[in-house]
Amino acid sequence: MLVIVCFYFLPLCNTVIAIEIGHFFFIKIFSKFLDCFSVAEKMVTRTVDLRSDTVTKPTEAMRAAMATAEVDDDVLGYDPTAFRLETEMAKRMGKEAALFVPSGTMGNLISVLTHCDIRGSEVILGDNCHIFIYENGGISTIGGVHPRTVKNNSDGTMDLDLIEAAIRDPSGEIVYPTTRLICLENTHANSGGKCLSAEYTDQVGELAKKHDLKLHIDGARIFNSSVALGVPVDRLVRAADSVSVCLSKGIGAPVGSVIVGSKSFIAKARRLRKTLGGGMRQVGVIAAAALVALQENVGKLESDHKKARLLADGLNEMKGLRVDPVETNIVYVEIEEGLHISAGKIVKNLEERGILVMDASPSRFNSSFNNIQSTDSIFVNCCSMLLREGKVKMATSGRKI
Amino acid sequence: MVKRIVDLRSDTVTKPTETMRAAMEGAEVGDDVLEHDPTAFHLESEMAKIMGKEAGLFVPSGTMANLISVLVHCESRGSEVILGHNSHIHIYENGGISTLGGVHPRTVKNNDDGTMDIDLIEAAIRDPKEEIVFPTTRLICLENTHCNHGGRCLSVEYTDRVGQITKKHGLKLHIDGARIFNASVALGVPVDRLVQAADSVSVCLSKGLGAPVGSVIVGSNSFIAKARRLRKTLGGGMRQIGILCAAALVALQENLPKLESDHKKARLLADGLNKIQGLRVCTSSVETNIIYVEIEESSGTTAIKLCKDLEEYGILLKQTGLSRLRVVLHHQISESDVQFALSCFQKAVNGVQNENGN
Repeated sequence: MLVIVCFYFLPLCNTVIAIEIGHFFFIKIFSKFLDCFSVAEKMVTRTVDLRSDTVTKPTEAMRAAMATAEVDDDVLGYDPTAFRLETEMAKRMGKEAALFVPSGTMGNLISVLTHCDIRGSEVILGDNCHIFIYENGGISTIGGVHPRTVKNNSDGTMDLDLIEAAIRDPSGEIVYPTTRLICLENTHANSGGKCLSAEYTDQVGELAKKHDLKLHIDGARIFNSSVALGVPVDRLVRAADSVSVCLSKGIGAPVGSVIVGSKSFIAKARRLRKTLGGGMRQVGVIAAAALVALQENVGKLESDHKKARLLADGLNEMKGLRVDPVETNIVYVEIEEGLHISAGKIVKNLEERGILVMDASPSRFNSSFNNIQSTDSIFVNCCSMLLREGKVKMATSGRKI
Repeated sequence: MVKRIVDLRSDTVTKPTETMRAAMEGAEVGDDVLEHDPTAFHLESEMAKIMGKEAGLFVPSGTMANLISVLVHCESRGSEVILGHNSHIHIYENGGISTLGGVHPRTVKNNDDGTMDIDLIEAAIRDPKEEIVFPTTRLICLENTHCNHGGRCLSVEYTDRVGQITKKHGLKLHIDGARIFNASVALGVPVDRLVQAADSVSVCLSKGLGAPVGSVIVGSNSFIAKARRLRKTLGGGMRQIGILCAAALVALQENLPKLESDHKKARLLADGLNKIQGLRVCTSSVETNIIYVEIEESSGTTAIKLCKDLEEYGILLKQTGLSRLRVVLHHQISESDVQFALSCFQKAVNGVQNENGN
């Protein structure tokens, strides 16, 4: 079983994480290897919230920007700050236009429903992708779109021949839905924040074009991917017809995502956003924070990845723990059977010590773990934003999902 | 020269005040999806208390609030909702309850005062005996104040009577209360009493109350739990929303008491417009902050032309028909703005008449 632990690191420049030693036996091993951390005793004086990069709180600069944002009614006309954000994002992503939305879920929902706006549509996507697993099945329950899943490999890709095999043959249309869209996810969350290369993305793009399909990238963490691969983000998504980009994750804005695509796509998306209820009024308030986030925090992602690798290396050296290779800010830690401790217990122990983590075992699909089905494990989602600011407070009890 | 703008298109144009901006800047926040943003929680609790319901849920817009409410009440496939033929949900929400939610609408004629005849509502309820061919009626929706009917108020007596019908037939009652506070103030009825018969209410904070973004749905604990999940599904699960909720809390405190004065300004403007030859306003219908202006043929102008002429003077309005304009007052329109608007209307109409040699 896999448990997710998200780590937020304090800035490593002369500050330390206080980790309580206690009866948690492997902390002794932990402390040996983590010479960059000093280990304090007993009292939890600070919280390290490692559940997700969505917990990032707005910085002073963001708060100031929000307080002074130029605003207008974004439904009746255009909120000028939202317009600035959308223009900036479109430019960065190399697309014609963009649309600010309240969440990544809405970003993906709108994108799928807009590409698949005709009844009887089907979308091909990974069997372990966020849209399929964590978005309440909205593309179907709300949008009437049928999903056709293809196995996600452990690196987040799907085999090209399997994708192609999943495309419905139009000559069979009397019994088939019509495939209209392929979705990729970059970085791939459930695979541990793995990056899809520009080459792979281009190949899927060619496949889409060959069969007259559209390509959407769930790019919630696309900037992480771009930074890790050293590929400019617009190049990375060039093959895509649309991309949804989260600003409220590692980029650190309080709210929102942006969808990018062609002008006509975005025009339809805007209408669907209204229909879904995402048409907000003086939205410049939150768009202003997002603009600051883009300016301030994209440059810090590389350091998040460094800290993730540091943690991964440290945990991997502990007997009883095994860590998958880390590419961005997400770390999977598996607890081997010999440790005789359940994921739930570890999560609880960590929480008592001010480390908030997430148990995500049930979300893992079995095929990746054929050889360790009997083990409990901790899934580590490594997000450094909060610690970068050095802002910590007493733990409030975090609800575990 | 900076042109003076008087924006009367809607009460959604209200911009956040200094106090709101300060509150947003200092707001305590948390991840509202992983747990509960503390400021959002505070707002939702406060709204539930004010409305006399068990719980509340902050959502990005009134459209989402109504969409969620209808879809939660009508969560079984094959559901039907009874609502006014001229209601906001039916006319201005992209048909989302059907296109996204699969719920079938059964409209009943709205009267000029925003009500629907009780006997017509009852006649529209599907007879369960005929279910082999009928959808199943699950919900009745009212709208208070009624936007398309001049911001008229539904009385508490009327609302209670509709509530009785719903109970008699095992249905739910949802009130689109985007401007419910306007109704409460105009009627002199406490808002919780006004919506007592309702199972759920959607309340806009971004209209007359002046918050930058958002609405709140109120209802029972179990209703709101389902609503929260559907909100996530629709993509309305935002993260550190305390920022927006902080502004909404200020709005509740600061601007609720100002609604009465919005209504006074509306009556002032309505009376003034009615006196202009060529324009007609049913002043007795102006109950809250919305005015519909009829353009008489004798004026020699049309809604489009008058709108355009007024825009040049800096007065922004909405055209709602070939010869009909809508004006909406809010707390950021002063009495002097009202007088200025009146003088511009007079000039615009006179100008046309001069053109036409009248």
